[in-house]
Amino acid sequence: MDNLIAERLSRTFRFVFDDPGLELKRSTSAKEVEGWDSLTYINLIVAIESEFRIRFTTAEITALQNVGELADLIGRKLP
Amino acid sequence: MAANSGVQNPRNLDYFQLLKEAGRSTTSCGHKAIRLALLGDCATQHFVPLLRALFNREGIRTELYEGGFDAIELEARNPQSALYAFQPDVVVIMNSVQMLRDKYYQRPGVPGAFQEDTLRRFTAVWDSLCTNSRALIIQSNYVTPLERFFGNYDYQVPGSMVSIARQLNTTILEEMRTRTGIFLNDMEAIASWVGRKTWFDERLWCIGKLFCALEYLPLVANNVVEIVLANAGRAVKCVVVDLDNTLWGGVVGDDGPHGIQFGAHGDGEPFYRLQSFLKELKKRGVLLAVCSKNEHSNAISAFHENPEMVLKMEDFTVFVANWDNKAQNLRKISDGLNIGLDSIVFLDDNPFERNAVRMMLPEVIVPELPEDAADYVKVLVELNLFETASFSKEDALRSELYEQKAQLRIAESAASNFEEFLKSLETIIDVSHFVPEQLPRIVQLLQRSNQFNLTTNRYNQSQCEAMMIDTEGCLPLFARLKDRFSDHGLISIVIAWPNPAAGTLVISDWVMSCRVLKRGVEEYLMNYLVEEARRMGLGMITASYIPTAKNSMVKEFYSRFDFTMVATRRDGGNEWQLRLEEYRQRSVFIRPEEQQMYTTLG
Repeated sequence: MDNLIAERLSRTFRFVFDDPGLELKRSTSAKEVEGWDSLTYINLIVAIESEFRIRFTTAEITALQNVGELADLIGRKLP
Repeated sequence: MAANSGVQNPRNLDYFQLLKEAGRSTTSCGHKAIRLALLGDCATQHFVPLLRALFNREGIRTELYEGGFDAIELEARNPQSALYAFQPDVVVIMNSVQMLRDKYYQRPGVPGAFQEDTLRRFTAVWDSLCTNSRALIIQSNYVTPLERFFGNYDYQVPGSMVSIARQLNTTILEEMRTRTGIFLNDMEAIASWVGRKTWFDERLWCIGKLFCALEYLPLVANNVVEIVLANAGRAVKCVVVDLDNTLWGGVVGDDGPHGIQFGAHGDGEPFYRLQSFLKELKKRGVLLAVCSKNEHSNAISAFHENPEMVLKMEDFTVFVANWDNKAQNLRKISDGLNIGLDSIVFLDDNPFERNAVRMMLPEVIVPELPEDAADYVKVLVELNLFETASFSKEDALRSELYEQKAQLRIAESAASNFEEFLKSLETIIDVSHFVPEQLPRIVQLLQRSNQFNLTTNRYNQSQCEAMMIDTEGCLPLFARLKDRFSDHGLISIVIAWPNPAAGTLVISDWVMSCRVLKRGVEEYLMNYLVEEARRMGLGMITASYIPTAKNSMVKEFYSRFDFTMVATRRDGGNEWQLRLEEYRQRSVFIRPEEQQMYTTLG
């Protein structure tokens, strides 16, 4: 994972889940994060879009499986 | 009710900020909670924490019930439903245009029948709610859909989706008017305010059935809170307005009743529109009052002599024009009308006055007015300060009733915590000799000041330049002022002439901008002059007052500083003198600038 992306992503996750100790790995998925449900997922997506000034498509939002895929996708979208 | 209502702008309606607040709800459990049920044909989960946080800001605890997805009718029309078991005080119904769209596409018959059927479903839900509970009903309307099948012609086609949505909004409203206890949550107004292009986030509808972009949900939730509060009795009862640069452009004391900017067209139009807006509020039953730092005679001259004025003297239930601090005057207005401070909105273009009132009377609603008067009404509308739950004939007559009752006495009284406020401002003054780069502003202030102007000498630039160069014979001073909130710029000029032979310092001119009255600037400058005179080895200060049509406010200026009147001039003015040993140093809450921008000579 690109370090800068990972750092900003961690910050956004911690903010959305209100958990300052949250540690992300590439394999982290909804199952491992407390409070990660369909409701918070939308919050997360919107917060990430605002943090990175990017926009996900509907298909991307529904297909994402874990943090690694999310970070890769962000990396591809950043200029 | 709203202890934080002084901080109206920005409204603090950030989605994520509200989520955090909802997580840390602080309202104690002792309060009676409001029981609010949420029914929607769209997702409502994201809405719940927002309502919780916004009610919490008002000190109100909430018990929330969420109906199932798209279960408005199932819940409302079944007397045994969990909704009724919850015993709601308020039922919020949210119908999304996205769901209307789905149903429109699947309609079995003609569009007209679809429209009628949809309306019948609305009224059946309301009627069941009214039969089975005593809850207040808050019903959203439809945002105009994006889809147009006929281009601009779309709305002309009776069965188009845009037509159906707009027609439903009209007929829903007609049905509401025939019922009591049902209030409109004007979602269409919010969507058109922010713009439908960004309001709709089609992805969020596809993924989670959210009816708008997340960032606008707080606006909708805030609507609900404001409707509930209006039903609980919260209302603005009185708008108190400043005059100069608020109700008209310019300063009536300086520019005269015909010189101020006011009119239906041109640079006076922003003020014309504000007055017209206020006039409608008055017709609606909101009282209007004036609180202005002005000579009373100048203030009323604008209304008596300028025929363009939309608001007339009789439109104001209370009219206060004096030089007292505005918080004191507002308190008197509130006492005199017997209405709470929290039901008063105070409009003033001057940030100093706004901050002073916010600090001393935090209950008063003080909107942050924009710099451009053309935006005054826009800001007031955005803040939605005038939410109400009813309108009756009595409302329209209210201001007359109050006028008869209100016997308002505006008496002098001691400044309560005004000194505390002045201290908190951390005001800094810079007193300097005339410098070339400030000459244009110096000349402008000398030319324009009419009210706080002791002798009204209109010096031009070359005369001021001559004083500046005459370092031996003249003490030409200007003062710049700034505080925590704003930089007021160059606000005062004092010109004095040392006369060593007579042992006196002669003050020929003293001019100050009325915007900084009662802040200790005069006291600071008098202390300064006395010190200068002593340093020069002089024992006395002499000064003159020459009356004009506009400067009566400084008639007694020198007597305030222990000067003795020694002669009456032929023009009606007075000559004053002060023995320095008799001067009592004045206490002020102003500090000198530590690093002076302009060097003081001598």
